[in-house]
Amino acid sequence: MKNNSIIILLLLIFIVPKPGNAQTVNWTSFGNGLKHIINLNAGFDNSATIGIGYGQKLNTSFPLLLSVEYSAPAGKTIFDDFKTKLGGQAEVVKAGRFSATVKAYGIFRRNESDYVRLLNFGSEFSTVMGYYKSSWHAAGELGFDKAIITHVQHKDIMKESYPGIKDGWYMPTGGNFFYGIQTGKSFKNNDVYIRIGKTVAQDLKNKATIPLYFQLGVNGRF
Amino acid sequence: MKPKSILMALAIVAGFAFAGCEKEIDPREPGMLVPKTVEQDPALSSISVNGTTLHAETFGNPDSAIIIVLHGGPGGDYRSLLKCRAFADNGYFVVFYDQRGSGLSKRHEKSIYSIQLMLDDLTAVIQHYQNSAGQKVFLLGHSWGAMLATAYINTYPTRVQGVILAEPGGFIWNDAKEYISRANNINLLSEETNDAIFFDQVFTGKESEHEIVDYKMQLMSAKENAKNNRIGNAGHYPFWRSGAIVAKALFEIADRDGFNWTTNLGSFTTKVLFTYSELNTAYGLQHARLVSAPYPNVQMEKIPGTGHEILFFGWDAFYPVALAYLNQLK
Repeated sequence: MKNNSIIILLLLIFIVPKPGNAQTVNWTSFGNGLKHIINLNAGFDNSATIGIGYGQKLNTSFPLLLSVEYSAPAGKTIFDDFKTKLGGQAEVVKAGRFSATVKAYGIFRRNESDYVRLLNFGSEFSTVMGYYKSSWHAAGELGFDKAIITHVQHKDIMKESYPGIKDGWYMPTGGNFFYGIQTGKSFKNNDVYIRIGKTVAQDLKNKATIPLYFQLGVNGRF
Repeated sequence: MKPKSILMALAIVAGFAFAGCEKEIDPREPGMLVPKTVEQDPALSSISVNGTTLHAETFGNPDSAIIIVLHGGPGGDYRSLLKCRAFADNGYFVVFYDQRGSGLSKRHEKSIYSIQLMLDDLTAVIQHYQNSAGQKVFLLGHSWGAMLATAYINTYPTRVQGVILAEPGGFIWNDAKEYISRANNINLLSEETNDAIFFDQVFTGKESEHEIVDYKMQLMSAKENAKNNRIGNAGHYPFWRSGAIVAKALFEIADRDGFNWTTNLGSFTTKVLFTYSELNTAYGLQHARLVSAPYPNVQMEKIPGTGHEILFFGWDAFYPVALAYLNQLK
């Protein structure tokens, strides 16, 4: 990212007393009376990224967290590329230390290069299942990120090369499965976690240029 | 806020977001994201040879010595090489064609591709245009096109009467691979790299969804021409369509089988014009000497003021050198 932004976000990671993760949650360490969770993360997700998130636990009969997330890839140009997610997750199975969580998000992505500007609306559905203690957890995750509809606005270079090229809303444009593992350590009202895994296109054959994802994050609950 | 209320709010927001959308375009529809090929647009100039249809154009007197122009890639096209039309004004018959699966030529499934097939296509193109056994044939190849020209000479050393090579990556797979690695120079923290790979989460396509995978390959090429690129290109250059499947097929073949197109170059004693660019920091004299060494008779020329796209950005310096070489052999 954006050199100045990297510095600012790194400062935030180390200065903010209780960072947290709206995405990777250890429900068992979510103590009574705590409703909010903040997350800062860095890693690789179809580009080297830095992200931030916020979530709020609702007063429901089963654990339910609504969250919003923002991440942006590395680079000199600020805010030309980013990914935002709005949605929630709920713990649907709990058997002793074993827990299963389902997640559903709406996604909005922006990507701009010398050739094109893409605005994409998508969705993400995933599940995380694993072993959870109040101080640590280890889990596997599986999900599908669907790029439902994308507005494509080509730059002059593309239009000069091919005057017939069409700008507009394209649908469908793609989708990727992702699968991997995650583990985290919880202490007081904070967590540190790591996620790592692979991606594959929706046809289960083709892959992204770098078909891997990795995320190191910190959560704070308050 | 109750979950039900939040979900309703989200639904309303989503409704507004899509309400203003015009009719959606299917990215797989021909002509939307990339130009139609000769198979889809019969108005394009083409030839049918060796079981395929190639986008092809010629300039000059058909009875003059032939220059076959071979574009780069694999998967590129000849649009950025069209300045070579100038040779037609100096007594040559200039033939351009987009290689099988590339540019505006017909697409094929990945499984059909082989190096021998690409050589057979070149043989067929030569035979299509050569009017008599005495009509001389010269090859002019850029980048991958120069590699293909050398593979052809290594296989058929008596079929052409001269060759101009512009920055071939290598005639042995390891040499080519090392050059490609230097040229790509992937920095995961750079804007250019992330611009080139971020959209993998937005556009995905099967190998049979040519329009999508070709379009993705085209967008990825923005990186190689971005400011301060390693290969010295001054900017973007003209193109028609990237052939993603032919590129993938030939790279997979090279990676799996390797290649060595130098084993018979010693028998080609005609002088070869080997050019490299001043500004491509991934290439340089050292790599030019390494790659050209198997040819017994080489005229080495550095083309000033250009990067890898020598025949576009460095044309003014390249053309007199190339013309003088050809005139010696004509």
